[in-house]
Amino acid sequence: MRYDAAIIGAGADGLAAAITLARKGLKTVVIERGDRPGGLLATREFHPGFFASPYLDEIAPIPPRIHWDFGLSRRGAIFVPAPQSVAHWPGRQHVLALSDASPAMSLLHNARGASAQAIARAERNLGRPNGNVFSFARRHPAETWPGSAFSNRSLQQLLTVGLSDTDAQGHLAALALGGRIADPFLRGSGLQLLAPGAGLSGLVMGGLGTLAGALVHAAEEAGAEVRCGLDASDLRLDNGRITGVALADGCEIEVKAAISTLDLKRTFLSLFSWKALPKHLVTRTGAFRMAGSTARVLFALKWLPGFREPDLLRGPIHVAPDLSRFAEANLAWRAGTIASELPITFRVVSATDPGLAPQGSAVVTATFGGAPFRLFDGAWTREKRRILYDQALTAAETVFPGVTDQVLAADVITPVDIDEALGATDGDLWGGEIASDQMLDLRPWADPPAPRTPVRGLYLAGPSSPLGPLATCAAGVLAAEALLSDFKMASRK
Amino acid sequence: MTTPQSCDALVIGGGVNGLTAAAYLARGGKRTLLVEARAAAGGLCETAPLSDGALGPMAAHAFYALDPRVLKELKLARHGLKFSVRDAPLSLLRGGADRLVLTRDVRASARSIATHSKSDAEAWPRYRNEMFALGRTMRALWWNANGKFVADGVVERIARTGAAAWLDSWFESDALKALLAFNASLLSPLESGSALLLLWRAAQEMCGLQAAVAFAAGGPGALVTALMKACEAAGVEIRTNAEVTELAIQGGRVVGARLSTGDGVTAPLVLSSLSRHTSLSQLANRAALGLAERRALNDKFPIAEAKIVLALDGLPEVRDTAGAFNGGLIFAERLESYVLAHADARAGRIPQEPIMEVTIPSIADPDLAPQGKHVASVLVRSVPREIPGGWSASKATFAAKALAQLDSRIPGLVNRVIAAEVLTPEDLSTRYHTEAEDLDVSRMLAPWPQRVQTPIENLFLCGADADVAPAISGRAGRIAATIAIGKH
Repeated sequence: MRYDAAIIGAGADGLAAAITLARKGLKTVVIERGDRPGGLLATREFHPGFFASPYLDEIAPIPPRIHWDFGLSRRGAIFVPAPQSVAHWPGRQHVLALSDASPAMSLLHNARGASAQAIARAERNLGRPNGNVFSFARRHPAETWPGSAFSNRSLQQLLTVGLSDTDAQGHLAALALGGRIADPFLRGSGLQLLAPGAGLSGLVMGGLGTLAGALVHAAEEAGAEVRCGLDASDLRLDNGRITGVALADGCEIEVKAAISTLDLKRTFLSLFSWKALPKHLVTRTGAFRMAGSTARVLFALKWLPGFREPDLLRGPIHVAPDLSRFAEANLAWRAGTIASELPITFRVVSATDPGLAPQGSAVVTATFGGAPFRLFDGAWTREKRRILYDQALTAAETVFPGVTDQVLAADVITPVDIDEALGATDGDLWGGEIASDQMLDLRPWADPPAPRTPVRGLYLAGPSSPLGPLATCAAGVLAAEALLSDFKMASRK
Repeated sequence: MTTPQSCDALVIGGGVNGLTAAAYLARGGKRTLLVEARAAAGGLCETAPLSDGALGPMAAHAFYALDPRVLKELKLARHGLKFSVRDAPLSLLRGGADRLVLTRDVRASARSIATHSKSDAEAWPRYRNEMFALGRTMRALWWNANGKFVADGVVERIARTGAAAWLDSWFESDALKALLAFNASLLSPLESGSALLLLWRAAQEMCGLQAAVAFAAGGPGALVTALMKACEAAGVEIRTNAEVTELAIQGGRVVGARLSTGDGVTAPLVLSSLSRHTSLSQLANRAALGLAERRALNDKFPIAEAKIVLALDGLPEVRDTAGAFNGGLIFAERLESYVLAHADARAGRIPQEPIMEVTIPSIADPDLAPQGKHVASVLVRSVPREIPGGWSASKATFAAKALAQLDSRIPGLVNRVIAAEVLTPEDLSTRYHTEAEDLDVSRMLAPWPQRVQTPIENLFLCGADADVAPAISGRAGRIAATIAIGKH
C-alpha cells in the first residue's frame, strides 16, 4: 500500500489534516487504533438510553475559518453555546452567574483574542522550510507570540487587576482551568486563560460524536481514507526521513510523509524503535511534562433536576470555586493523592440537548480537575474510584437536593481510563502541562518550530503542538499546510 | 517653624543602597543629605551583640552580589572592608550523613556529586560552564545603566522556565537539584522566571570570583562602616532618627520631603531606597499612578524570610573534611520541599519542613565570639509574612520547628546554644522597615532606567527592588545615582 501521507490518529486534528491534504489531491490515509474515529470526540451510551461525551462535554473552539471551510454545520455539527456560567456556594443564598457579556468575562475574551492572534501568526509563519534542523536554533522570530504577556503573570495577578470580587476571581479561574489543575498563585499560571478548559465553546447537539461524524464525512468526501482498528506500531526511517508506517498486524504502509496527532511522548517514545532517534531528541521528549488531572463522573438520573431558574441549568455549574482551593488541590495532585475537595464542575447536558436522555430523565456530568494519574499508594482501584463518585454526589446534593435517590447509573472515568482509551499520556487531554516553558513558541520546543519536527517528513499536530491546547482542528490544518508547503518546495527543486 | 533645610539631592534610607547612592551623588558634586529613620544607618547589614557578647549578623549573613565597581570606586577596602571568607563552599545537609559539597574545585565538586549520581557528576562542569558564560553575557544588561536586553532564545526560554524544570533538564539527583534550587527560592521552583534567578546568581561576582559567596570580617556591618567612611569622605550629610513622612510634590515633580521631626527638606532630586510600594503609595500621592499600578501595589507579597541567630558555647564534633562548615549549609530534603514550603507560606502556615541556610561565620572569623565560642546564623526562607493569630503567638512554635530541623541535620548543635535571637518576618519588618516586594520577572529583563525611574519626575528608586533581584549589592544605589545625575 502506498500513500502520499499517513496521519496517525483520527481525532479532530487528524481528520482536519486529512481533509486539508486530500482536498489538495494527496493520497491520504488516517490510521486509527480505536474501532471508531473521533478520539476525544466521542459519545457513549453509558446506560441504556443515556448518552454522554465521556471525556469532556465541550472542546476548545474551532476557528471560524476552519468551521466554515469544512462545512461542519451543514454536516450536522451544531454548537449550542451555554447562555452563562454559574458558580454555586453551598449554604449561600446567591449564585454568581456570568454571561458572555458580563464585564468580568473581559479577561477571558482578551485571552481568546490572543489565542486567535496566535493561530493567525502560526499560519503566517508556515512558509519556512524544514532545512537543517539546527538552522533554527539561533534565529529569533521578529514577531513575538501573542499571549506571551500571560507567560510570567499568575492567574491571581491577572484576576486581581481585573476584578476586585474574590467570588468572581474564583469563578473565572474555574472557567479557565475547566478540568485541569494549576496553582493560580504561581507565575506562569496566567497562561491557563489562553487554553480554554472545558469552557464556554458550547455543546454539540448529539454529543461530541456528532462532530466526529461530520469531520469523517468531510474527510471521506475529500477522498481521504479513514481506517479504524489499525495500530501504527513504528514509523520507518531511512536516512532520517520518514518512509513508511509499520502496523501492529505486520502490514506496512509506504508513505512520503506522516502527521502524528498523538501527544509528544507517544509520538517519539512509542512510534519509533528505541535506537532510531538521536539521543537528545529522546531526552528532550522525556523532559516534556504531562499534567493529566481530569476525572469525570457521568450520572444517569431518573428526573430532571431543578435549580433556581431553569435557564441556569444550561451552562456549567462550578461548586465553590476559590483560588486557594485550586492551590491546595494542586499540591495534593503533585503528591499523588486525591484532594479532599477536588475542584468540580457540573453540566446538565440533557437540559441543552434533551436527546441525550429518555424523556423526563437527565444526564449530568461532573468534571474534576486535580485527579492524579499515578496515585502514591497504588492503582485506581474500585475503592479509589468510589471516592470520586462520593465527592461528586456530595457536591451534587448541595446543588440539586435529593439527587442521591435519583441516580440510575454512574460511570467514573479516571486519568488512567483516558490514557488507555485515547492514548493520551498520563490522561492529559491537553497534551502537556500548560506552563510558560511549554506553551506558544516553546511548545513542544523552540527549534525546529512546530509543526515540523527533527525527523524529516514527520509533522506534529495534536495536543502537544502550539495550537493544540488553543483550538480544535487548527493544529491538524497547520501541520497539513506545512506538509503541503514542503512538498511544493521539494517538487520545485 | 524652622526654615526648611535645602540640599541638591535627598536620599531616603541609609541601607547599603542608600549609602552607595549618597556617596555617588556627593562625588558627582551634589550637596547630598541622607535621612535614616533608625538610630543608625546600615539597614539589613547589621552586626549586633548577642547576650553573651558574641556578634551576630541580624539580617543578611553572606554576600554574593556586591557590585565590584562600588567596592573599587568607593575604595571600600581602603575604608576597612575585609573578607574573612572569599569563596565559601555551598553544601546540602540532609537527614542522616547525606552531604553534598560544591566548591570552586570542579573536580572535587563532581566527586561529591558522584556519590549521588554519576551522570550528574558528568553534567556538572557543562552546566557550570554554560551558566557562567550566559551569566557573563547578561552582565551587559544587569550591570550597566544603559544596558539593553538583546533578544536571545536561550535566555528568553530560561525566563519562562521554572527552576524545577530547568534543573530537571540537567540533573537527575534530588540532592543536587535541592541544593541548587536554594538560589532561586525567592520564588517557587514551579514558577516561570525562577530559573532566571539561577542565571542571575551565576552572573554575580565576589572578590573577583564568579558566583562566589563571601563573609565580611567583623560581620556584615563592616560593609556599612566602610560605606559610612566613603560617604564621609565624599561629604554626605547623614541624619539618623529622621523618617520621611511625606514627599513634597508640585506639578508631578518631587521638590522635597517632610520629616517625622516636623522639619522640611527641599531638594530638586530625591532618591528613595525604600520599596517601590512604600515610596509610591505611602510617601507620594497615589493619584499620580495608573489604575493597574495602584491595584498591583495593593497586594503585598505574602512570602517572607525569618532569621535565627544563635550564640554557641562551642561546636559539636562533626566530620567536615571538605570544609563545608566554612560556607553556607542548605537544609532542604528534596526539590519538592521548596514547592511545599512556598505553598505553605502562601497559605499562611509555617512550613512543615522549613528551607534554611545556616552559616557559622565565627569559624573563619574568631573575633566574632569570645574565645572558644561561636555564632551561627540561620536564614529561613519561605515563611508566611502574616500568620493567622499574629506572628507573636506562633514565634515559639516556629523557633522550635526550626531548631528541631537544625538538630536533626547537625546533631548536638542545639545543645550548645547559650543565647538565641529569633526574628520573625514581623520583627524584621518592624526593625528594618522592610517590605518585600513581589518579584516581577519581566522587570528582570528590563533596562535599568525602567526600574529606577518613577511616574513622579525627579524621584528615583535606588533600593533593592530597583535591582534585578533583591540582594545586598549597592548596584541599584550606584546606577540610580548615575541615572539621576545624568538626568539632572
